[in-house]
Amino acid sequence: MAQHPIFAKQAQKARGFCTALLAATGLVATAHAALAAPRHAPAAPPAPAAPSFTAEQADHGAQIYAGTCAMCHGAALEGAHDMPPLRGLFVARWANTSLNKLYAYITHAMPLMAPGTLPPQDNIDVIAFLLRENGTEPGHTPLPADENRLAQMVFPAPNALPPVKAAQPGKAPRTR
Amino acid sequence: MKRRNLFAASLAAGALAAGRKSWASVPEAAQAMGRTAPPGTVPALTPARVHADQIMDIKVCLRPFRPAGPRLEIEPVADKIVVHNYGHGGSGWSLSWGSAAMAVERAAPLMEKHVAVIGCGIIGLTTAITAQRAGMNVTIYARDMLPHTRSVRANGSWTPDSRIALITAATPDFAATWERMARYSWQTYREYLGLPGNPVDFRDNYLLSDTPPDEADHTEPAPDISKGSYASTGVPQSEAEFAKYADRIKDIIPAAELLAGADNPFPVAYARRKPIMIYNFGAFGHALLSDFYQAGGRIEIREFHSPSEVADLPERVVFNCTGYAARDLWGDKSLIPVRGQTAWLPPQPAANYGVRYKGAAMLSKSDGLMVQGVNLSGLGELEGVGNSMEQPNRAEAEQAVAVFEDLFSRFRPRRG
Repeated sequence: MAQHPIFAKQAQKARGFCTALLAATGLVATAHAALAAPRHAPAAPPAPAAPSFTAEQADHGAQIYAGTCAMCHGAALEGAHDMPPLRGLFVARWANTSLNKLYAYITHAMPLMAPGTLPPQDNIDVIAFLLRENGTEPGHTPLPADENRLAQMVFPAPNALPPVKAAQPGKAPRTR
Repeated sequence: MKRRNLFAASLAAGALAAGRKSWASVPEAAQAMGRTAPPGTVPALTPARVHADQIMDIKVCLRPFRPAGPRLEIEPVADKIVVHNYGHGGSGWSLSWGSAAMAVERAAPLMEKHVAVIGCGIIGLTTAITAQRAGMNVTIYARDMLPHTRSVRANGSWTPDSRIALITAATPDFAATWERMARYSWQTYREYLGLPGNPVDFRDNYLLSDTPPDEADHTEPAPDISKGSYASTGVPQSEAEFAKYADRIKDIIPAAELLAGADNPFPVAYARRKPIMIYNFGAFGHALLSDFYQAGGRIEIREFHSPSEVADLPERVVFNCTGYAARDLWGDKSLIPVRGQTAWLPPQPAANYGVRYKGAAMLSKSDGLMVQGVNLSGLGELEGVGNSMEQPNRAEAEQAVAVFEDLFSRFRPRRG
């Protein structure tokens, strides 16, 4: 059987999800600019921006997460059969949604056994942690605890495949 | 008093068996063998009719054993992203839902609405349905539908750490990955309990032994160093090389209990009973296909000849659920075949239980009475390793059948 030479090489190379995901990320790197625009873009500009947050925020968010959230969502954000994961499907569920909605949800509904008990800055830092864990790089500008400014940002999908050219919105091209 | 001097007898036998651990006291023996079933909880069992002239089918499968554990990775191929989900050894049925959830989790951040699944065995079907439940539109591309896949040539019961990985080849974090898969699968399978046709069910499995099922019986023989190991030969050479994880989930898996004295209906000295989860292929396959179609799924019969052919698919995210076929199709030479054979006799719903005795297993399922040699040669987990002979071996089937023919010829049904 003919073996595609590149394939055999890749098969050996891909050891572990992180390596492979990096490769996938590289593959779609050119698409990042396009992704800044949400799929369900509102008719009126300005276009929402990708959020910025600092590594310190994410680190602090990791501490909050470990103490308050991990008991349900898992130490590695993996969720369980009856518990939503905060990676993978979480990205698909929240991508391109403005961050004030995520902030409002966490503020009002989480942690489940004591909703609304975390101070605003802790909630913001948890969001910074979730952004980092799902592939968004930290920057120099902190994520603001300001709902109006959060409304101008969307949850990114940094690993999404580039949009299909000349395709109808929301419909994959079919060759049949 | 129903309990007879079972343990006293075992003490005498144990004293005779050189090298075997002998129990210092009856309570110690009982503790070592687990909880004793309360008297009267064993129903009057109908003996199974197990004879070679009743064999109606012999099926052979090749378990896709991967020393490093199942392949769950993302790989770019042409302009597609392939999400691998294959190589589950003898644990594919058991781990399918959890493995599917992990594969879908890896694919979800790619944000694709239309995805492809290659393969329609148990891994392909559960992956497809899990992707649907995550909001994706799924097309399955497969050479064969489920009844012709290797999946339905298994015995179809909960065996989540059977030939799943080697201790030295699996990454340190695989144990936690396995646990997550197993727990997720177990919970998902419970959704199919109690449905019409019993796609998923439980059976009491009777573990029988003529000798005390003590440590000596379960201690693996010391590895034969002259044979080498997986590291030196590329194939596992001793049972001790296989990773075992069952203890990680024993909090949710029903344990075995001892049947003492007159409560033991079998003509053997030692019997334990353990409820096991089973999959009735016909009913469960039908349930899965119905779920898949009702959620808008499509199936296209198609054979792939090389990985580059995924470039022809309209979908950009492709789940690779090809099992042992991945060895040739995807060039994964780390896959080691582990041959397994099951013989099928007509269904015997009156004898609705399983038995394990003398290296053979019997399991009463809705689509037949399954008889399998699981350890006839004494090789344990090494039985069938490296053997890719997919033709039936009638002599082996009859050898396994003979174990139960002998057992039930000595069986004296209790009068109701």
